[in-house]
Amino acid sequence: MAIAPTIPAIEPAAETQIPARRHHRRLTPARAAALVLKFVAGAIIVGLALFPLAWMVISGFKLRTEVVRTPFQFFPDVWEVQNYVQILSDPSFVRTLAITGLGAVIFTTGSILINSMAAYAFARLEFVGKRIVWPLVLMTMFIPGMTILLTSFIVVTKLYMLDTLAVLILPGLASAGHVFFVRQFYLNIPSSLEEAARVDGCGRWGVYFRVFLPLSKAPFVVVGIGSFMAYWNSFVWPVLTITNPDLFQVQQYLANFRGERSSELGLLIAGSALAAAPIIILFLIFQRQIIANIKMAGLK
Amino acid sequence: MAYIMLAPVLVLLSVFVLWPAIQAVYLSFFDWSFYTSSQFVAWKNYANVLGDDRFWQAILRGLEFVLMTVPVSLVLSFLIASLAVSVSQKVSTLLKISIYIPSVISGVIASITFVMIYDYSGGILNALINIVGLPNQAWLGDPRWALGAIALPAVWLGLGISTLIMIAALLDVPQSFYEAAELEGASWWQRTRYITLPQIKNVLLFLLVTGFVGSIQQYELPLVMTAGGPQHATELPNLFIFNHFRQDTYVGYSIAAALLLFVVLGSISSIIFRIVNSEKLVD
Repeated sequence: MAIAPTIPAIEPAAETQIPARRHHRRLTPARAAALVLKFVAGAIIVGLALFPLAWMVISGFKLRTEVVRTPFQFFPDVWEVQNYVQILSDPSFVRTLAITGLGAVIFTTGSILINSMAAYAFARLEFVGKRIVWPLVLMTMFIPGMTILLTSFIVVTKLYMLDTLAVLILPGLASAGHVFFVRQFYLNIPSSLEEAARVDGCGRWGVYFRVFLPLSKAPFVVVGIGSFMAYWNSFVWPVLTITNPDLFQVQQYLANFRGERSSELGLLIAGSALAAAPIIILFLIFQRQIIANIKMAGLK
Repeated sequence: MAYIMLAPVLVLLSVFVLWPAIQAVYLSFFDWSFYTSSQFVAWKNYANVLGDDRFWQAILRGLEFVLMTVPVSLVLSFLIASLAVSVSQKVSTLLKISIYIPSVISGVIASITFVMIYDYSGGILNALINIVGLPNQAWLGDPRWALGAIALPAVWLGLGISTLIMIAALLDVPQSFYEAAELEGASWWQRTRYITLPQIKNVLLFLLVTGFVGSIQQYELPLVMTAGGPQHATELPNLFIFNHFRQDTYVGYSIAAALLLFVVLGSISSIIFRIVNSEKLVD
């Protein structure tokens, strides 16, 4: 429900902002036609990209019998909040959101901390074995998930980690991609800053905590959002490792809901909209940093 | 000191990535299950996989899926990126945000949404094709349509990242090239063909290869939407392996299949790494 206001808020902007990037040039008919064409194309792209989400949120406001009905209708006859109210008063759904959120927060914090520490060590410290360890860490980026998904499951089973919060958090916590990304950022921090801090009596930890951490907001936003998203959206791993309903993760909950209560589509679609909301809100808050870093992150 | 800072990452990567990878290679040569003692079988698991029609069909289906998703994604993200760099800053931001939002949505939620879009009697897709006079289709229930019906949300989910990378690439092309071309009276197509495409060649190659690797490994969408059906029409390679793993208590076959897939993908990944390396992006 929380995302409902954001979508209409974005769309009208398209109509008002399009004209006149090159207003210093004469508006010939050809140029006007190109402008109209761009406007139409832009509106179609924005519309198609957001349509499935808009439809999901709006469908959540329909009566339960209306969600999928013949003939098709985009808007509800009467806007009802009952689906949203009812799913939010379902203790199992709220508990699932809470436990997933808790795990995601721990996962995100831990991921930022340990990956940035390693990034600092690889960027700034000399130690025996660095030339062997660094390529080895990079190599783990290129091992496709499925190959180790199966044996990771065997490993966590043998470690008696099934049905614990640890099995959800620990296996994905260290990420070579994140270490690499933060390291690139640290390599660009002038070493004079570091030397100044050393002269002032900072040890290595002091340099890391007092100089590097405060400068790291930008890469931490990217790593943090990436980690939060990876945890919140993960589905297959919880399905393999969690059987206790008290620990169900939100994606797992939704997939089970669809399987077990398939007649309650209104609740399912409202629950899905609510489960998508935190991620979309986080993205909208930090979109500037995320979009600015996508090139680096993409080419990691 | 350095070792203390590295310890958490190195320990976790060793236990949950490197060790499972090594164990995967080891177990692929054994008949092993949670319930029996292991027995060395040499290449038997690999031979079983290579001799299994279903494995090859899954690989072919994966390639078909790549053809359905990657070219469309590349063309669309190029067109959207071209539009985004030719409009004002604000419109461009709006386009970037809208195209990227689907990328943060989980596969499960995308699946739930698209299953309803494809609903036989009340979904919007059938309502749309009814307008042009076509009869309802069981998009996910008909083997002819099912794979395409999964390709659509896959493109929708993945378009954001490739478009943003493409935008960054387009902005890197020196503006002076276009000014010169405009003086010569070059058309949009000529500018695209002789300036833009050659200039962003590396990024196109990168997107092509990552798109291939990402697309052929897709399995969450078909897992939730169809579980691989109807008649295995949506059983992509990783879903085939995953389903096999859950049904067969002897894991050797599944692991061998995953490793064989890895050999193909690993060689492609190393090609990417070489491209990225040659661009001096690593160090």
